Parts: sequence; C-alpha cells; structure tokens
Amino acid sequence: MRLGLGPLDVDSVSPRDLHALAEAAVEASFDCVWVGGTGGTLVAAALVAQWVPVRVGAVVEVGTYHPLHLAEDIAVADLTCSGRLEVMLRPADVDADVLEEHLEVLGLALSGAHLQWNGKHLRVPARLADNGPVPERLALNPRPMQPAVPVWVLGRPAPRGLPELMFSPADVTSAELLTGAGNHAGYFVVDASTPDEVRAAGRRLAGPLRMPDFPAWVNE
Amino acid sequence: MRLGIGIFGMQSVPQRPDHHAKLYRDLLDDAELAESLGFDSIWLSEHHFWFDGYCPADLVAAGAILGRTSKLGVGTAVMLLPMHPAQKVGKEATTLSRLGEGRLSLGVALGYREPEFDGFGIRRKDRGKLMDALLPPLADACAAAEPAVPLYVGVATAVAAQRAGRLGLPLFADSTMNPAELREMLAAYDAARESAGMPAPATHALQRDVFVTDDPERDWAMLFPELRYMRRQYGSWSFPQSNGESVSAYRERLEADIEAKLKNLIFGRPEDVAARLREFEALGFELIVCRSQFGNLPRAGLHRAMEGLGSLAG
Repeated sequence: MRLGLGPLDVDSVSPRDLHALAEAAVEASFDCVWVGGTGGTLVAAALVAQWVPVRVGAVVEVGTYHPLHLAEDIAVADLTCSGRLEVMLRPADVDADVLEEHLEVLGLALSGAHLQWNGKHLRVPARLADNGPVPERLALNPRPMQPAVPVWVLGRPAPRGLPELMFSPADVTSAELLTGAGNHAGYFVVDASTPDEVRAAGRRLAGPLRMPDFPAWVNE
Repeated sequence: MRLGIGIFGMQSVPQRPDHHAKLYRDLLDDAELAESLGFDSIWLSEHHFWFDGYCPADLVAAGAILGRTSKLGVGTAVMLLPMHPAQKVGKEATTLSRLGEGRLSLGVALGYREPEFDGFGIRRKDRGKLMDALLPPLADACAAAEPAVPLYVGVATAVAAQRAGRLGLPLFADSTMNPAELREMLAAYDAARESAGMPAPATHALQRDVFVTDDPERDWAMLFPELRYMRRQYGSWSFPQSNGESVSAYRERLEADIEAKLKNLIFGRPEDVAARLREFEALGFELIVCRSQFGNLPRAGLHRAMEGLGSLAG
C-alpha cells in the first residue's frame, strides 16, 4: 500500500502553503506529493521535487496538446528530480480514437522507441510536403531517468505492475481504504488541505496501510 | 546593468557524454552558484529531437531551478514559440511566476530547424504566421500573471524586430549581431513601434557569448572544442548541406561560419570584459545574458568563468 498527498491545486495554491503542505507530507511519511489543476502541473511538480526527498506526481491532461510535448515534459521533469516522477493522465474531452492515439504515441515516445507513427489523427514524424526532407523516424531525447515512469490513466485500471490508484477525502479511515483495496495493493492519494490535516492523516493511515498486523495501541 | 548567465542547453555532447541525470543535477548546482555570485538570472534554451538530448522542455527545467533557488531569476533564451500551444505556455508561465514569486522571464523566438517543426506536425513556413497569432495572447497571459512575467521577443534580424516593435514588446537580441547590426535592428524596431503607436519598453535584453578568464591560453584550449561543436551544430541547422555538395566543401562552409561568429565572442580578463559589456549597455540593453556554457564544458572551467563574470555582477 502506498500513500500520496493531493492533488494540490496549482491554479490557486500560494508558494508558502504549497511548501508547508509538502513539508508536512514528508514529516507524515507520505510516499508522494501530487499536484493537479488546469495546466502547468508538470512544471510545478519539477519545482516541488526540489523541496521534498519523496516522489512527486502530476495530474496532466492528455489528448489536447501534441503527445510529444507531453513526453518531453515528462522526461525532463523525471530527470530534474532524479527519477522520482509519477503521472496521472486525465483524458481531455476528445473522441475516443484521438485519445487512444495520443496514449499510444506517448507510451512509445517514453519507451525510447525510434518512432514512426501513421495513425488516423497523428503522423510522427509528420513529413509534411511543405517541409524539406526530414528523417523517417524520431526519438524522444533525453529520455526519462526511470526505465518506465509510472503513468496511470484516470478512470482506467492501473497498468500491469502498478497498484490501483484512488483519490480519497482527508477524513478517510484506514479500514475504509483497506476495504476498498480488498486483497490488492492500493495507492491512496488523500486530499488533505492544511498541514495539520496532512499530519493527522499520515499518523492515522500510514501504519495500518503498510502493515496488516499494525498494533492499534501505537495510535491510541 | 543586470547580468544573466547561460545559456544552458543540457547537451550530452560526443566529447563529454554525461548522462542527463547528471547534467540536470549539475544545472541545479550551477544555479545555486549563480545565485550566490549575485547574478540577476540564469537562462535555458530549447531544441527538439536532437541526438545529444538538447533540452526540449525549458519551462520544466526552469521549475526545478525555481524550486532550488530563492532569489535568482530564471528565463528562457529562447523558447521556440511556434512549436508550442500558446495556452499551455501561458498557463505554465502563470503557475511558475506565482510559485517562483515573480522570478520567471520568457524569451521567445521563431525556431528554424525543420525536423523540429515537422515532429509536431507544423509547417516551418508557417512559423511567422504562427508567431503573429501566438504572441498577442501570450503577452496578455504574461501581463495578467501575478506577478506579471516579463516577455522578450528573440530577434536576429531587422524583420523580426519589426514584428516585436508592432506589439511594443522588448527585444531579446541574438548573440550573432555586432554593434552596427544591433543599431540597425533597433532602428527598425523603433520605426515599427512608433508607427504602431506603441510606447517604448523599459529595457531590451541582449544575448552575448562571453567568457571571463585569468589565463587566456589555458582556457582557450578548453573552450574552443566546445565552441566549435556548438557553432557547427547551429550552423548545420541554419544552412544544411546542399544537394550535391561534397562533405569537405560543406565542412569548409561550417568552419568559415565558426570564424565569422568568433568575431562576436567576448573573451578576456574581467576588466576588459566589463568595458565591452558597457558598450552594449550604452546601445540600450540593460539586461545582458552572457553565454559562458558552450556544449558541455568541464565543470571547473565553467565555474572559474562564472566566478570571474560574477565579480562584475555582484
């Protein structure tokens, strides 16, 4: 079981509050600090990663901007924090087949493939008639530090090898989370909004989530 | 006069192929050093799909620097705006300006390398039109950000300066222009600005290749291979090998370009460099972004140059 904080809203949070929440998350042994919002989450995650020694997560929209931009942003963000990045993709309001192509190209680019994609909506490289001759393939460079950056897609089952990720309110109990996870590994991202709430949630949840035989008297 | 340090392209060059995880760790250390030396700002640049891993996401790297430092300005020199969705850039700049407490600046320019445009499905020939369409909304987003984000328009020609002049945006002048060319470019800018009825901006920024040394002979031997790599790379992007041109003829063309561009390098002892920089300040460039990082210099050499230049900044 893993415990995350957030997603903290980068559209409105002040630097002072963000710093205090991130520090509280580290003190309360959260595994990851997540940021969300309508944009700019990867740049914010790169910034927060310099404040904390734990992992950072960004909720990012997928399907509107070119997936190569997203791949480049993910690669550089992961490199600047020495491989501590996690990503939750939030599908944009686009046709299902557009979304699938964006996800495919993003995955291929992040894998380091020498990419040539001829889809219905995307062609990479585009090799447009008005451009001069360009190479037949292209590759993302630099690539992320992690061999595979953990990437979830909102509303879909976790990719193979990753725990199911669930966003939960701040006042959730460990019993509720454990019931939700059943016997499966779970990753719970708790939306606490003050440093005190963060510390309380960490104290209440971290032990019971990590150990099935967590002794209740510790938190009494 | 404010001094910026750069230009960090984060290249894992063939002559020193460091892993990018190390290059970005070094960047953050260099930013801390720049802050302690009293530099106004540190500047990043951007290219895409190049074998040495040239930084393709300068705002992400800027975010990391803003997290690591507390007083230092951070800027893009330059972001290739036509390749980006303007709304995305505007949002990222707004977020970083708030979280970085007003320390972010944006320099934007056209871009020129065909495979980069093509990778994103953009026609290179549309770049001017795209710039015209993207600059006004980005300028609005930068002005509306809290704190506002200074936005500079990167220019290497009089035509590009006229585009910035019509919008009244300050310039980020390329390092390849000599003082006479800079004067001509500023005149074109002012004419376009005045006929559009725009007020003069408070300042312009200038990018310059600057390397401060206390031992020119030793440092030239270190510097030249990196400079040569950088100039050959930019040269090969600006004027690719033409059809039927032999490799040797093409290499001669690249070497001639290196010779020409070296004329604009400021290389010398601190007091000599200070005098040269004041000439450019007098032209109207209150912010001078000094490029002391070429390719991937040995760490100790780069730090010596930063300390020498920092003695003029602090």
